[in-house]
Amino acid sequence: MVRKLCFLTSTLGMKYLMGASGLIWVGFVMAHMLGNLLLFVSAEAYNVYGHNLTSGNIIYLVEGALIFSLSAHVIQGILLTLKNRKAKGTQYHVQAAGNKKTPWASRTMIFHGTIILFFVIYHLITFKFGTYYSVIINGTEMRDLYRLVVEVFSNPVYVVGYAICLLLLTAHLSHGVASMFQSFGFNNRAHDKKIRMVGLVYAFIVGGGFLIQPIYVYFLN
Amino acid sequence: MASTKAKILNLVLKVWRQSGPKSEGKFVEYPAKGISTDASFLEMLDAVNEHIIADGGDPIVFDHDCREGICGSCGFMIDGQAHGPLRSTTVCQLHMRHFNDGDKIVLEPWRAQSFPIIKDLMVDRTALDRVVSSGGYVSVNTGCAQDGNSIPIRKRDADEAFEAATCIGCGACVASCKNASAMLFTGAKVSHLALLPQGQIEREERVLNMVAQMDKEGFGACSNTGACSASCPKDIDLTTIARLNREFVKATVNKHNTDQKLGDG
Amino acid sequence: MSTLDGKIPAGNIEEKWTQYKFDMKLVNPANRRKYNVIVVGTGLAGASAAASLGEMGYNVKAICIHESPRRAHSVAAQGGINAAKNYQNDGDSVQRLFYDTVKGGDFRAREANVHRLAEVSVNIIDQCVAQGVPFARDYSGLLANRSFGGAQVSRTFYARGQTGQQLLIGAYSAMMRQVEAKQVELLYRREMLDLVVIDGKARGIICRNLLTGEIESHVADAVILATGGYSNVFYLSTNAMACAVTAAWRAHRRGAFFANPCYTQIHPTCIPVHGDNQSKLTLMSESLRNDGRVWVPKNKGDARLPHQIPEEDRDYYLERIYPSFGNLAPRDVSSRQAKYRVDEGRGVGSTGVAVYLDFRDAIHRLGESAISARYGNLFQMYDKITGDNPYKTPMMIYPAPHYTMGGLWVDYNLMSTIPGLFVAGEANFSDHGANRLGASALMQGLADGYFILPYTIGNYLASMKLDKVASTHEAFKESAQGIQQEVNKLMSIKGNRTVESFHKELGRLTWEYCGMGRNEAGLKKALTEIPKLREEFWNNVKVPGESNYINPELEKACRVADFLEQGELMCEDALHRKESCGGHFREESQTSEGEAQRDDTNFCYVAAWEWQDKNKKQVLHKEELHFDNVKLATRSYK
Repeated sequence: MVRKLCFLTSTLGMKYLMGASGLIWVGFVMAHMLGNLLLFVSAEAYNVYGHNLTSGNIIYLVEGALIFSLSAHVIQGILLTLKNRKAKGTQYHVQAAGNKKTPWASRTMIFHGTIILFFVIYHLITFKFGTYYSVIINGTEMRDLYRLVVEVFSNPVYVVGYAICLLLLTAHLSHGVASMFQSFGFNNRAHDKKIRMVGLVYAFIVGGGFLIQPIYVYFLN
Repeated sequence: MASTKAKILNLVLKVWRQSGPKSEGKFVEYPAKGISTDASFLEMLDAVNEHIIADGGDPIVFDHDCREGICGSCGFMIDGQAHGPLRSTTVCQLHMRHFNDGDKIVLEPWRAQSFPIIKDLMVDRTALDRVVSSGGYVSVNTGCAQDGNSIPIRKRDADEAFEAATCIGCGACVASCKNASAMLFTGAKVSHLALLPQGQIEREERVLNMVAQMDKEGFGACSNTGACSASCPKDIDLTTIARLNREFVKATVNKHNTDQKLGDG
Repeated sequence: MSTLDGKIPAGNIEEKWTQYKFDMKLVNPANRRKYNVIVVGTGLAGASAAASLGEMGYNVKAICIHESPRRAHSVAAQGGINAAKNYQNDGDSVQRLFYDTVKGGDFRAREANVHRLAEVSVNIIDQCVAQGVPFARDYSGLLANRSFGGAQVSRTFYARGQTGQQLLIGAYSAMMRQVEAKQVELLYRREMLDLVVIDGKARGIICRNLLTGEIESHVADAVILATGGYSNVFYLSTNAMACAVTAAWRAHRRGAFFANPCYTQIHPTCIPVHGDNQSKLTLMSESLRNDGRVWVPKNKGDARLPHQIPEEDRDYYLERIYPSFGNLAPRDVSSRQAKYRVDEGRGVGSTGVAVYLDFRDAIHRLGESAISARYGNLFQMYDKITGDNPYKTPMMIYPAPHYTMGGLWVDYNLMSTIPGLFVAGEANFSDHGANRLGASALMQGLADGYFILPYTIGNYLASMKLDKVASTHEAFKESAQGIQQEVNKLMSIKGNRTVESFHKELGRLTWEYCGMGRNEAGLKKALTEIPKLREEFWNNVKVPGESNYINPELEKACRVADFLEQGELMCEDALHRKESCGGHFREESQTSEGEAQRDDTNFCYVAAWEWQDKNKKQVLHKEELHFDNVKLATRSYK
């Protein structure tokens, strides 16, 4: 006899979904970061890239998938946190140190997750829904995102806040990427260390790639 | 023994005292004087208890039995670490030479909703037994067995199964996990049998049932912090959890397909 | 005194068990659910019996003293389990295992039982493999074997250093499957405190629920005790803290004879006592003696560190006394010699109660890595416990009690002198005689539980007419009241000494006078001291806390109260047995070379003691032992 159990509401299923929804954003942040690197090429290249990306209908599909997966990720995150807090009940008086201490990032996913969520919203407000500057490149009128970026990143307060959020994103990814493999069941003893390393490297590439932009803009412009 | 190195310690214990599952608990401090560094942690507690009894008090209750690190009875948090500061060690095998004179040591019971406190440092871990009874076995009746050597098992698989099977069910994984998850325990059991040919027949039902029971008991989800494996006195590997996830997904998909087929028929 | 009948079936030894199984009465499968069987104890013997009986369809209640059956002390067995599989093609057979076990038991075991044990040993391995027990395997994927003390063949199956734990998990999970199937009701954190006998038959037990303090009555048609041995009568032993004689002793007081209590086994290579706080001892595998040399300083009170003591001031006493066997002298011999050295004042360490086991020469000869490959995990364990590095400084070892061959007397059916009360595993006296061979304890526990009790219980139930009994029966009420009074009495003494201090003192007496060497004067002294201690216990013990909730001190008090009675019987038995045999060494009975001397003319029997009233001498009954298949001979190591 097999006991009744719904995959999606089981603790394992919830983590699976957490990983799957996270995966979409793991891919997205890398693509986004790589695209942003055009900033270093030229203002023109950057703006053209932005323009091409947003023209056409495929963007709506992508945005839909991103919104859907982010919502799922956030909801699952909240549900899991509530469930886990309930399972734990009372917290310890003393936290483990030394030999049995766990990585900070792994213990605090809901914390940086929440901040990243607000950052994403604020980021959208600043850029996607921010001031519309216009520019004409090769005869086509398009949004001058470059100008906006330079303007925003010349504010030291914004740059610092942005940097902090990106560091948190790095932390989030440093645990999340490897953890995803674990939740999917794609891990074994032979590959465990490599997978952790891949997660760490991925997080630093994304985080670092994003970070150099405001620093570059702030100090060079 | 260890005559040349034995020293005497004076310590202070800050112990969680709670008279029953529903009562309010609190920390109480006790002096632990004249403790030999050769004594085990539990022997130190025995000595403290003898003093408490002599003073007309109620001794500190804790679970313990074999005192050689294999029965899984003992276990509590020492300064926030399950089974204390040493890796691959149960409390009963932790010796006082790892502490310093004058230390103040905080003792707390395993914390998890599924492990209600019975008294002081003793908790009820029968939830783990119920997870086992939901499927952690091979359904072979006495007398049905074929010759022990009729199914050769690759040494690598046998060794890996053995390593998963070394779990002593102490509950340190649940206790050290911030989510009170029992994934390492369940993962170890599932891995042990999934790796052996004897476990194949019930492989899918086993994982589905054990996960269902694990959830029913109210254990949390895995956040992959690794606290469980770091605290495990038998060093059960974190990747047993990955295997549990893998087995669970495969079993779910297969069950879904089978149900569909049966439904169509 | 009477002569006991072991109810051994007639016929050739090879056919007795087969014939028994054919002759026995059976219970119809449909009728089995009408029978209730209580299994007390859920270690290897208990869990395997509960699982097997549950599978057959009986209603089983399993009584577990721990919070989980997987914590039973069977887990601590390291070495392995014997079986006459002959997988190594080295000439093993049922006949040879039978022979080795009878001889190893120093000719004080019942031949028929031992033969049956050897016969079913092969089934045990099959059963355990089918359950998924991860035995060690070689590169072909087939089961690996190693050799063990007292045998010339490799017949020991093992799972690294935790064979006991792996076998227990097998039996435990088989039982949990029956719990899930509602064939077995598992009652945990319960301790049996009385046996209820109605019309001369065992009809149930009285337990104390350790969580609530409630005194519970459980009715049954047959009761199985699988409650382990009594090594903790010595206070310090390798047994777990909860190991006690209580259940067996309470049954003894209800009329079950206690057999050969003086047969206790002392293991030579344990980690020595460090001081007064010590609560238990840890065993180290005997295999260490293959490469380690045992020695003590030649001079009394030599306070130098071991490496400062030059070769000429060292006494490698085993090599000196037993030139041919040297450090590999048998368990009882090496244990005794260590005791003599300590008695001479030449013991080492802070307590002076230890001898060195030195690997210096082996490391010189073979290199550190070779020694590490052989004993790495043991060295690590030693380091963890003592804080000493055995690669650099010699280990210190001392013998410690770890198994008791004596136990409740049972016949061939494993039934005690009370009809309906069966006893399995270490709790009974049956198969090991006066000395148990390594890797035989696990074998016996599982043989009893999986392959013997399921048959003999059916035979009993089918041939008995059992009236219906309820827990409201007068006998249950009376017994429960008696237990409640005992608990109340213990709580009300409110004396000045802790339970632990009584246990420690009892341990000192039994270890001193009934330990590795026993003599008339010492045993007589113990027999006057123990009753005095018992009397003081009942007038001056201090049990804190309440009786209506978990109270480990109260539990301990009940157990120590029983040890205080059983310890006396052990000394009584040791005094009466004027020969030396196996684990029982009477100093008066030794050869001119100081070796144990058996007396087959006068003592070739099982001594079974019958309880009389409190403070009255127990009555001795004998079961004569006959050796038709193995010739009585002297064990020799020269």
